[in-house]
Amino acid sequence: MNENTVQIIHLYPDLLNLYGDKGNIACMVKRLNWRGIQTNVQLCTNQDHSIDLSSADIIFVGGGSDREQALVCSLLLKKKEELIRYVENDGVLVAVCGGYQLLGKYYQTASEKIEGLGLLDIYTDAGKDRLIGNVVLQSSLFDQPIAGFENHAGRTEIGDYTPLGKVLYGHGNNGTSGFEGVIYKNVIGTYLHGPLLPKNPKLCDYILSCALKRKDANFPGLKPIDDTLENQANTYIVNRFAPEKK
Amino acid sequence: MRKLLAVWIAKLAIIAGKVVGKKSSSTPGAIALKICPDLIRRLSSNVTQGIIVTCGTNGKTTTNNLLNSALQKSGYSTVCNSLGANMMGGIATAFADACNLAGKFQADWAVLEIDEASARRVFAYLTPDYMIITNLFRDQLDRYGEIDITMDLLREAINMAGNVKLILNGDDPLTAQFGEGKKAWYYGISEQVLPQIDETKEGRFCAKCGMEQEYHFFHYSQLGDYYCPHCGNRRPHIDFEAKNVNLSDSMKFTINGTPVDVNYRGFYNIYNILAVYSTLSVMGIPTDKFNQLLRDYKPQIGRMEQINLGKPFILNLAKNPAGFNQAIQTVMLDKRKKDVIVAINDLANDGRDVSWLWDVDFEKLSDENLCSLTAAGIRRYDMALRFKYEDIQNVRIASNMRDALLDCMNTNAEVCYVLVNYTALYPTQTAMLELQKEQKAGGNI
Repeated sequence: MNENTVQIIHLYPDLLNLYGDKGNIACMVKRLNWRGIQTNVQLCTNQDHSIDLSSADIIFVGGGSDREQALVCSLLLKKKEELIRYVENDGVLVAVCGGYQLLGKYYQTASEKIEGLGLLDIYTDAGKDRLIGNVVLQSSLFDQPIAGFENHAGRTEIGDYTPLGKVLYGHGNNGTSGFEGVIYKNVIGTYLHGPLLPKNPKLCDYILSCALKRKDANFPGLKPIDDTLENQANTYIVNRFAPEKK
Repeated sequence: MRKLLAVWIAKLAIIAGKVVGKKSSSTPGAIALKICPDLIRRLSSNVTQGIIVTCGTNGKTTTNNLLNSALQKSGYSTVCNSLGANMMGGIATAFADACNLAGKFQADWAVLEIDEASARRVFAYLTPDYMIITNLFRDQLDRYGEIDITMDLLREAINMAGNVKLILNGDDPLTAQFGEGKKAWYYGISEQVLPQIDETKEGRFCAKCGMEQEYHFFHYSQLGDYYCPHCGNRRPHIDFEAKNVNLSDSMKFTINGTPVDVNYRGFYNIYNILAVYSTLSVMGIPTDKFNQLLRDYKPQIGRMEQINLGKPFILNLAKNPAGFNQAIQTVMLDKRKKDVIVAINDLANDGRDVSWLWDVDFEKLSDENLCSLTAAGIRRYDMALRFKYEDIQNVRIASNMRDALLDCMNTNAEVCYVLVNYTALYPTQTAMLELQKEQKAGGNI
């Protein structure tokens, strides 16, 4: 391990691990390794959460059941100040599903109000039905549409923040706004799993580039790698669900 | 009269289905229920001795059908949804199919597998006397939501069933907890058999206090000898325990000292056999011919089903991470040089969400005996991409199963395993049987 090694911290994978989230971690690691960049993944778990978050280049938090999410939240609230400093210092944070909801002020479920980290001034209320299905987004970050799968009861209101993308197919943040996810500084929150990153290589590279530029202002940019299979998997979903909108 | 009309229409629909080659169907029953909503209540009252229900994520069909065959061998008449259609419609189909044209049938026992989320709906019309719960794993999150939701639905069903006698997998903390305060018997495997690998465990948190629980040993997923160091909750007393497990040749073990020796593949089948043995014992039905019964049982399609295409092709259904990990483990116990085809569909009956592929330990497939690996099915690109992340090189992508099978018939491998999820099963079996027919006819394949 050297100073160029990218430090990835996975928050509570023992509690939030519902939707193949380890695929997102594997994707970031592999796409760096394939370019000769070293990585080091550290887990912050219920057993051991002594880890120093400020050492991270990328922090990832996934999705879990409501019960596990409430438990994680109580643990994460102890790290609230640390996380706010990290985010305001342009730290890269990727939050999926339940993790996305935790970024906000609160998540109001049918029975209780779970206090969020308040990293962003957004909030979530549980709706009556779950929003479930394949999703295709168009982001302004790159041309390739984002493909994923959503399954959430929460309706997230992002106010004036920039969304991750416009919904070409699916429900998105609250089923009505026509937008999905949120971007703030180097934070990305989204309901998409699937997992998200393997078949969205452009999004993964965007996240990795943000982290590498923050490490080294002179970072020249990521070398291209063979994404034939990644693009095939992406295109299949886009063509199937949003063929006319490409 | 409505009942009779419903039965007739269902029977017509079953015949029509057979004509067009539909193998398993809930449709006839679903139509009949539209005509006569309480059909299940009215028909199930014909059953004279009792109703036995099997629920659980994996192993339902094998357990249910094995039990059905055991009861028939013991001289009882039964009604059984043996093809695995296990929601309201499928249950109604099974009863209607058993009826004569007067809307009557004779059966000592109804032997039914029921989908976990449908149990509370079915139990509004019939009350089981015995209920087996095999296990609870992560499965089809898009349909069932989180496993917590499935458990709530199942608990509601059990409460509706009043005095039901429960036969539960005592190695599964999620399943065992249903026995609390009920008439319950538990079965389990009481020794360490498999390597203690770390895979996605669903029930890693104590069902009682929510803290992390620990294991003296575990078998797979969350199944094992668990205990909670925080509140003292632990694996219950096991009434029917398997020991002396030997998987090296055929499958050998003992149940409470009685030897079982059977040519089944797959560690998980020990649980299916235990569930049946336990249920027969609780019912007071003799088990002295148990081995003969197991030997005579013909599994449903796609349960490690072997079809010869010049070399053995072994077809296996696997629908969720626990099922897939078990299938992969079984494949890797076979040391022959092998081809593997994995076909993943995402139709409604499969679950639309394929994110679970990332919770399967596919890296275990990659060893020196792997000759070729093919990704097939509707989501073949997702599958191939998943393999890419396990550094498995030269993965083939097949847009149809026939081509995939043909390719594997021409490799140097000695055996080919074909792992498929639900809707890929029947088309794959059909393709295999067609190829076999062509080969026998001396066709140029």
